Amino acid sequence: MANQDKKSKKGKWGRRAFIVTGGLVGGGLVIGVGGNIYVSNQIKKFSGKGFNKGDSVMNAWVSIAPDNTITVAVPRAEMGQGVYTSLPMLVAEELEVDVNKIKVFHPQPESPYANTTFLAGGPRDVHKGLSVIEKIASFMNIVGTGGSTTIVDGFGTYRAAGATARVALVRAAAEKWGVQEGDCYAEDGHVINKSTKEKLSYGDLAVAASSIEVSEVPAFKAQKDFKVIGKPIARLDVPEKVTGTAEFGIDVRPEGVLFAAIKHPEHLAGVITSIDNITEVEALPGVKKVVMLADGKGVAVIADNTWRAKNATLTLEVTEDSKASEGLSSASISQKMKSIIDNDEMIATPEDEGDVEGIFGKEGVKIIESVYEVPYLAQATMEPLNCTVLVDGEKAKIWVGHQFPSMAKSKVEEITGATDVEIHVTYLGGGFGRRAELDFVEKSAEVAAAMPGVPVQLSYTREEDMRYGMYRPTATSKFKAVVAADGTISAWENKMALQSVMNNSMLRMMPSQAPKPKDDIMTIEGAAHLPYAMDNRKVAFGHLDVPVQVGNWRSVGSSQNGWFTEAFMDECATAAGQDPYLFRKSKLGAFPRFEAVLDKVAEISGWKNPKEEGVFMGIALHKSFGSIVGEVAKIRDLGDKKIAIEEFFCVIDCGRIVNPDTVEAQMQSGIVYGLSAAMYGKITIGGGKIIEGNFPEYEMVRMNVSPQMTVHIMEVDEYPGGVGEPGTPPAAPALTNAIYAATGDRVRELPLVKSGYTFV
Amino acid sequence: MAELKINGKSINVEVEGGMPLLWVLRDELNMTGTKYGCGVSSCGACTVMIDGVATRSCVVPVATAVGKEIKTIEGISPDGELTAVQQAWIEHQVPQCGYCQSGMIMAAEALLDKIPAPTDEDINAEMTNICRCGTFQRVRSAIHSAAKLRANQSEMLG
Repeated sequence: MANQDKKSKKGKWGRRAFIVTGGLVGGGLVIGVGGNIYVSNQIKKFSGKGFNKGDSVMNAWVSIAPDNTITVAVPRAEMGQGVYTSLPMLVAEELEVDVNKIKVFHPQPESPYANTTFLAGGPRDVHKGLSVIEKIASFMNIVGTGGSTTIVDGFGTYRAAGATARVALVRAAAEKWGVQEGDCYAEDGHVINKSTKEKLSYGDLAVAASSIEVSEVPAFKAQKDFKVIGKPIARLDVPEKVTGTAEFGIDVRPEGVLFAAIKHPEHLAGVITSIDNITEVEALPGVKKVVMLADGKGVAVIADNTWRAKNATLTLEVTEDSKASEGLSSASISQKMKSIIDNDEMIATPEDEGDVEGIFGKEGVKIIESVYEVPYLAQATMEPLNCTVLVDGEKAKIWVGHQFPSMAKSKVEEITGATDVEIHVTYLGGGFGRRAELDFVEKSAEVAAAMPGVPVQLSYTREEDMRYGMYRPTATSKFKAVVAADGTISAWENKMALQSVMNNSMLRMMPSQAPKPKDDIMTIEGAAHLPYAMDNRKVAFGHLDVPVQVGNWRSVGSSQNGWFTEAFMDECATAAGQDPYLFRKSKLGAFPRFEAVLDKVAEISGWKNPKEEGVFMGIALHKSFGSIVGEVAKIRDLGDKKIAIEEFFCVIDCGRIVNPDTVEAQMQSGIVYGLSAAMYGKITIGGGKIIEGNFPEYEMVRMNVSPQMTVHIMEVDEYPGGVGEPGTPPAAPALTNAIYAATGDRVRELPLVKSGYTFV
Repeated sequence: MAELKINGKSINVEVEGGMPLLWVLRDELNMTGTKYGCGVSSCGACTVMIDGVATRSCVVPVATAVGKEIKTIEGISPDGELTAVQQAWIEHQVPQCGYCQSGMIMAAEALLDKIPAPTDEDINAEMTNICRCGTFQRVRSAIHSAAKLRANQSEMLG
């Protein structure tokens, strides 16, 4: 066997199973993940913290209690997308246990739990072991949630965790009975002896099984045998979320906890240089301490109650250096983007097929030209940003809802100097990319370090949360196209101007890894490599350099590019005099999965049927994070720019489905998130400051304007794609295309309220 | 010192009268089921019932709540038996991140107390809370289900 050859050459850490055995919690370090040769055993280690004492740990993901309770370690953020259920489902499928009886906890961010998809760009093949790049990701300890990668990354790993544990249990039973492994099988938490029908529960076998090494990842079940995967499973976290007992970061109350609020510089890239009334503020009721944060990035007040802390921050008198954002406004930024495009200051041309200039230069061609623009957007998680830290000498403890606990932990180590740091990851009251940032962790650590021995919970007020943002970048796209009489797109050019999210956010968090703006592929996510047939195409972008922090926002580049490209496709259809659905369909011959989604959404929406008077539809199709989504908006035009969005139809091809109810929920969620941005969303800059500070100014979809949504999930036997984000990008173009159909008004700037639209 | 009646119990708190009820609940009494979302009565995450009326506790000075019946998410199913609304929430798998759901459920309980069989228009008018995950469609379905459940329950009791 090839494995053994390598093993003999490299000794102990030769190519072995992906997953080896665990042990009894409390018995010291357990080994969790095997791997290939040429790698230290560092990436196989995990502490076992979080598993119950007395449980037998089968591997880094699964433990079994004597009473047969199965516990699954889920190192991904539960921020609404259902991963505390979908990942245990994968374990349950292969382990042959009832998913409803699984207990879930969030483990420490250790190497076995690395999300290798972030670096490798795709799933790992657990039967082959880790590739070099996956080992690097593990070694770098990248434990995080984002980019709709949880299922993409975990579809193999979690089944492997379940299957390996099952085989160990079956072997333990076989040994006990003195029979062959093949004489036994696993079913519903028990191993059964085929001939005698004797039964042993997993709980009875767990201690013995945990010391059995399964050297190869067993073959996975065939899809036809699935009992759990693909079935609508009730979420394990829902009961806690209807009784108010689910614990979010802002809810943790360690003994003796104090509460802190923060005042950030009021200007973008501002620096607070001095506090002028510390004594007065420290004398306010409940106030314990005023803390100036490093580099003048804020002033925190620690008090015995969040409200008192917040009130105290409002009385702070500070001096602020605001030079960096002098004269900065949304209008000046918009102007700058247009000039980058008009002066052709492109820094990268990720797609350049054929000769678009040649077509544009031809005599007599009719060129369609349009400029689109979107504003900055806040993620506006319902739970304002917060983090609780206790610093106690070498030790520190963190309680936080975070998408990247490994980075949060490193940041606290860096700030406090603590070497023994434990992180308790709670539920996230929304993430949407904002909780992938470290600002609130860093500040919380600084504040707690000023009050050693006391846990301090720093939370942003809604205003501080909204004004100290890591926004979806504002962006402009200028399109030029030539559409032939037969509807062929002879040339398509898209020149964009925007800030680079990857460059900006990585400079904050991991400067050494920050790509240059020209190398940030997220910028053109959803703008380049469109599935539509085009004779010549070119996509280029220029870099907007302004002192505004930008970050990940649900669907990232696709959040604007989905709208830009699908709105302009509609313009091309109009230019060709063709139906927007048929126009798109005619260009998808090379991509049957796209075409099937488009056909299906046209079918379920009744696209071709005659409409009631005043009712109109718009269609959009977009792929992001490995999944293809088509959406149709059905609106009622009430005149005077008053619109009722009556229904949305959505079709997703995400490959194999893990939990269809979650997929449906994520599509509904993504549509509402996308509509909120299209209808109302804007973060405006004036005088170097962010204008909007709270919900009345940053409005979003509420019950009265939320459309009825119908979601259809395609049955496609392909590797799973993501579902957390792909529902968002097509929502805006489906809506604006419907508005065009209704009114003839081609809105090229979001949000729609800015053009005078209202919604009922 | 103020004596509050929360979920049927008398509780003494020692805070300034201007402190919003929300922060008394969360930071003085560690009753964290009621959430902070905006502080300006816009999002509804902090909804509790005061004398049976859905109220946004982030703008209610605690002094004005003295002597009134305050009911929070912790108080609607104290013996562990879920209310019709909570059952319907599970049936329809409403919550996603879940942060707004305490407030959403309290608003729904108050709505059904006032209007036992609400129409979609009633729901639009009364359910003005923000859910950033966009669970509105399921909230709507769950309210209709809960209305039926409640009707069945009272029939059985009657």
